[in-house]
Amino acid sequence: MSSGFDVVLSSAFLAAALRVSTPYLLAAFGGLVAERAGISNIALEGQMLAAACTGALVAGYSGSVALGALSGITVATLLGLLLAALRLELGADAIIAGIGLNLLASGATAYAVYTLLGDKGGTSGLDSGTLPTVPLPGIESIPVLGDVLSGQNLITWLAFLTAPFVAWLFYRTTFGFHLRAVGEMPDAAASVGIPVRRVQYAGLALSGALAGLAGVFLSMGYVSFFVRDMTAGRGFIALAAVFLGGLRPWGVFLAALGFGAAEALAVQLGTLDVPPQLVSTIPYAMTLVALALYAWRRKRRGVGQVAPASL
Amino acid sequence: MTSTLVETEDRREYRATRRRGLAVDLSMTLATVLAALAVGFLVILATGKDPVAAYEALLTGPLERSFRVGRWLEDATTLTLLGLSVAIPFRARQISLGAESQLYAGALAAAVVAIFLPLPPVAAVIVPLVAAAAAGAGMGFVPGSMKARLGANEIVATLMLNAIVVRVYDYLVNGPLKEPGSSAVYSERVQPDSVLTPLTDWFGIPLGRSNVGLVLMLLTAAALWLLITRTPLGYRIRMTGANSDFAEYGGIRVPRAIEWSFVIGGAVAGLAGAHLVQGVYGRLEPGLAGSLAFEGIVVALLARNNPLVVVIAGLFYSYLRAGGDIMEQQTDVGTEIVVVIQAVIVLLVTAQALPDLLKRRIARKQAAHKQVGAR
Repeated sequence: MSSGFDVVLSSAFLAAALRVSTPYLLAAFGGLVAERAGISNIALEGQMLAAACTGALVAGYSGSVALGALSGITVATLLGLLLAALRLELGADAIIAGIGLNLLASGATAYAVYTLLGDKGGTSGLDSGTLPTVPLPGIESIPVLGDVLSGQNLITWLAFLTAPFVAWLFYRTTFGFHLRAVGEMPDAAASVGIPVRRVQYAGLALSGALAGLAGVFLSMGYVSFFVRDMTAGRGFIALAAVFLGGLRPWGVFLAALGFGAAEALAVQLGTLDVPPQLVSTIPYAMTLVALALYAWRRKRRGVGQVAPASL
Repeated sequence: MTSTLVETEDRREYRATRRRGLAVDLSMTLATVLAALAVGFLVILATGKDPVAAYEALLTGPLERSFRVGRWLEDATTLTLLGLSVAIPFRARQISLGAESQLYAGALAAAVVAIFLPLPPVAAVIVPLVAAAAAGAGMGFVPGSMKARLGANEIVATLMLNAIVVRVYDYLVNGPLKEPGSSAVYSERVQPDSVLTPLTDWFGIPLGRSNVGLVLMLLTAAALWLLITRTPLGYRIRMTGANSDFAEYGGIRVPRAIEWSFVIGGAVAGLAGAHLVQGVYGRLEPGLAGSLAFEGIVVALLARNNPLVVVIAGLFYSYLRAGGDIMEQQTDVGTEIVVVIQAVIVLLVTAQALPDLLKRRIARKQAAHKQVGAR
């Protein structure tokens, strides 16, 4: 198995792992914020997709990458707010509304791309460019470290900064305290004067924005165009990372990083004799086992530690 | 035994209330569909296309030629089975998103039996179907028992199983089950005896790939309706979904009911996989189900999880899907607009406050009317 170890330790793999983890990290934090606010955001997938499509289209037609990224994130934020409104104003089931929003994003993006470009597959005919990468002068020339860290996309750096940001937000700010209180027991939060709805709207907007950033990375960083249904289930995997991480920022960080690393590994191992499809099932199987163990432990203790929102 | 006047009065009132509820439900469903179609119409208009021509193709296209009817019925069979498979756990208030894993497990089981196991004529059709149902049921049992016994979140469990099974399926179709000596990624064909008879053979007109799976689907729907409304297990599942605390208090073993709802749903999704293998494609192909598994959820929702209504909703949905393809061929409006229409339906259906608001308003109006009458 020396070749397997070679792959894991190679700088190409490590750099790929950071790149592949980026959308998982951002979307998972989006899912975490929503979950702790008491509304499950299963629409992460759709928010990413909508942001990816909007970003590529706006950047392509306006010629401004920044404007594209900004409009992509805005659309995803609005979808987050729409989910909150459906839940809070119209009494919708958050899961089913989320499925509806995912469908809406899938249909609307494909329709928009076909109508504007006459292309079924995506926006590869449109020159939309990518967000800038960050060169690290000095570190660049260090053998392995330079290859791994330098030249990563701006959003990859943002994704890794999201973990301390969300941890700070949750545990060091009034808003974070309110958010957690609202998610755990809305009635109690309301009784001490926390504006429950406003906090939930804000949480879902932030959740959508993070998912939007993940989506923008896919179409304007990972590659430079939008492909139909290009999120390919990443939003759902991110949601699993939220639970696998025990609904805590650093736990979610590790889980999302694990999913990213496993996917990168599966791609790298494609050169060896191991079937990549089977390697890529490992993180999901691990999640399933972890989910069962977590539930079993909680059951033995009798009470839940963190109540999973509205599930 | 004669009932008193008060009793007959009460019963009449009760029946009237139920009838009113049903009428409101039906008109709400109809209104939902019409509203969603209107949204689609406006979107087409807003993107500078001709919505009238597009909707004409969408709504009349599928019936214009017999093979188009066949295409519709074949799609409706799979979609309705998937809708049924979701409706049963939904009845127990379990959000099972695992239809995809159950379908692929069923497809694999049906294909392995139908390709490699030599069987006498009738058994050659039935045994793969049973194998598929069993494989689907097993795939439903995993998240079901995790939820029922441990309280593990069924949404995450089913999503993970989907991710695993789809990849294993992809591996098997690309590797061990690939037709030897072929460059294309297919399995071998199933044995001729295992094929579900095409409806073309029955009616003598070309009906595409539609097959006796349609009849099987209708029977399944009827059986599930009987199960839910007329058997103790169905009662337990319904009570669990209505109020699990109350069900537990009344002596129902809620975990068992939850487990069964997953197993039954899984078996039906497995049958959908068998229908694709033995009826539609005749072999395993990559990405067999497409997005059908999630659209099954939409069908179940629209039908409010009533098995008989699921059939109607499934037929309606597939009609839109078939019409969307024709619309795209005949006009320059993309078939994706159908997905948008579907999404609007889901969002309207789940906005529960809407019908309740309407029902309350009707009730209030009627109460006011009665007061006036009493005076």
